[in-house]
Amino acid sequence: MKKRILFMEMKISLPLYKIVYSILFIVILSLIRGVSVSFEIGIAMEPALAILAAAFCADTYALEVVSRRSEVWRLYPLKTRIRAVGRRLLLQQFFLLLVSAAGYGFFYLFQKPLAFRSIQPDAVSEAAQFYCFLAAEAVTIVFFSMLSNTLACLFHNLWCGIGGSLILWLLLDSAYAQRLLGSWNVFSYVFRNVSAADDWSWLCGKAVCLLFCIAAAAVLPGLLKRR
Amino acid sequence: MSIQINNLTVTFKHKVTAIDHASLEIPTGVFGLLGENGAGKTTLMRVLTTTLSPDSGTVTLDGMLYHEKNYAAIQKQIGYLPQEIDLYPNLTVQECLEYLGALAGVPQKLCKDRISNYLEKTNLTAQRKKKMRQLSGGMKRRVGLIQALLNEPAFLIIDEPTTGLDPEERIHIRNLIVDFSKDRTVLFSTHVVEDLAAVCSQLAVMKKGRFLYSGSMQELLDHARGCVWDCVAEDAAKARELEQRYRISSKQYVENGIALRILSRTKPDIDCRPQNATLEDAYLYLTGEPLPR
Repeated sequence: MKKRILFMEMKISLPLYKIVYSILFIVILSLIRGVSVSFEIGIAMEPALAILAAAFCADTYALEVVSRRSEVWRLYPLKTRIRAVGRRLLLQQFFLLLVSAAGYGFFYLFQKPLAFRSIQPDAVSEAAQFYCFLAAEAVTIVFFSMLSNTLACLFHNLWCGIGGSLILWLLLDSAYAQRLLGSWNVFSYVFRNVSAADDWSWLCGKAVCLLFCIAAAAVLPGLLKRR
Repeated sequence: MSIQINNLTVTFKHKVTAIDHASLEIPTGVFGLLGENGAGKTTLMRVLTTTLSPDSGTVTLDGMLYHEKNYAAIQKQIGYLPQEIDLYPNLTVQECLEYLGALAGVPQKLCKDRISNYLEKTNLTAQRKKKMRQLSGGMKRRVGLIQALLNEPAFLIIDEPTTGLDPEERIHIRNLIVDFSKDRTVLFSTHVVEDLAAVCSQLAVMKKGRFLYSGSMQELLDHARGCVWDCVAEDAAKARELEQRYRISSKQYVENGIALRILSRTKPDIDCRPQNATLEDAYLYLTGEPLPR
């Protein structure tokens, strides 16, 4: 039964139009965003996928409000509702992570960047770079998807979720935010010192993301209960 | 199961009062709720489904007070079909109902049995593998009703359940509601007066957030007894004149002129015959301006 419910959640939260636009987004990005060395791929992809995650996941619960199903949902046990929203978020985040991984490959395919080690011999391997990017990207996707869903639930409006996330994205993906927040910035992976392979200070920014996600998960029951 | 509403008031932004110190008792059986657009019917149903909190007044369900601490227990006993609901367009009818049944906490086997039973009763068995987006408005409405019945609620609240249904389907749905209402309470809100006449023995009429009437159908009909007249106006000019002087509940072109159904306490000054009041006449009698003498 759980498998069947998960399959239905997948049909609800991953409709064809979302799959198509997210794949188109990553294909177009990998075609138009120039990179010359492989370490630039992560830098090019992380902020772009953050805004894709915000737009993608803003309707996780808001679609229940828009279609007036939320009035029926109110009658269901709170735990069931939280689990349903949680499952949908996880499914969408997993899909976006797959899109990120595919996008990384598209950059290699279309842009043919130089291997990082060819210009800096002590740099980490290409595979290590990829896994590192995937870990950082996973946290960013979870952060922006939780942010947009929380804002959309708070204001009962999908566009508030997308708009609020966009404003934060614009503020954080800037040189000013980098000067102000340094390694505590959500986009610390983008602004990290790529030539220092042993510099892991960017993990602080990702820790901030995870703390926010825990807080967002904690307020979700209250938001779903709200009239 | 009985629902008691005492002195209930709900106000929205800009001091719009949707329900104004309303009191009502809803007994077991099908209870009709009738009223013009904006009368407060949907707001009342939202309070009863715990979607809205009232500003003042109390509601009890079998003695259990509508209060945050009791909401979980109350919600378990309610089934609700809102006026507008767009069920999951990408899911098939069967999947959609299984999904909503699982969310409602109905065990899988029981849920499947109930789905088969209700699909048959609503003539939707052939559509069970169709996607929700492929269904007509009337079919979607029937699926909406089934989702409200899946947890076999003790208190069923249905807002315009027959909208978009053809006459035969309306009769099916009405019969299903009557069957379901045995030992249960069904609050049936509609604009279609004949649907209420067919299924309810008790009803309430709302206007501007207040209950104008609450009681039996027969009593309401008795209110309008002796006030309904049928006549035929020979031409359009005469019909217009009568329309200005009397309240008209129906108008129809016939062979010898225009047949009019007049609501008036005294016999109109035209050749006419007294008629039995219908629920529509009684509703107009109750909600309109005072009748001409």
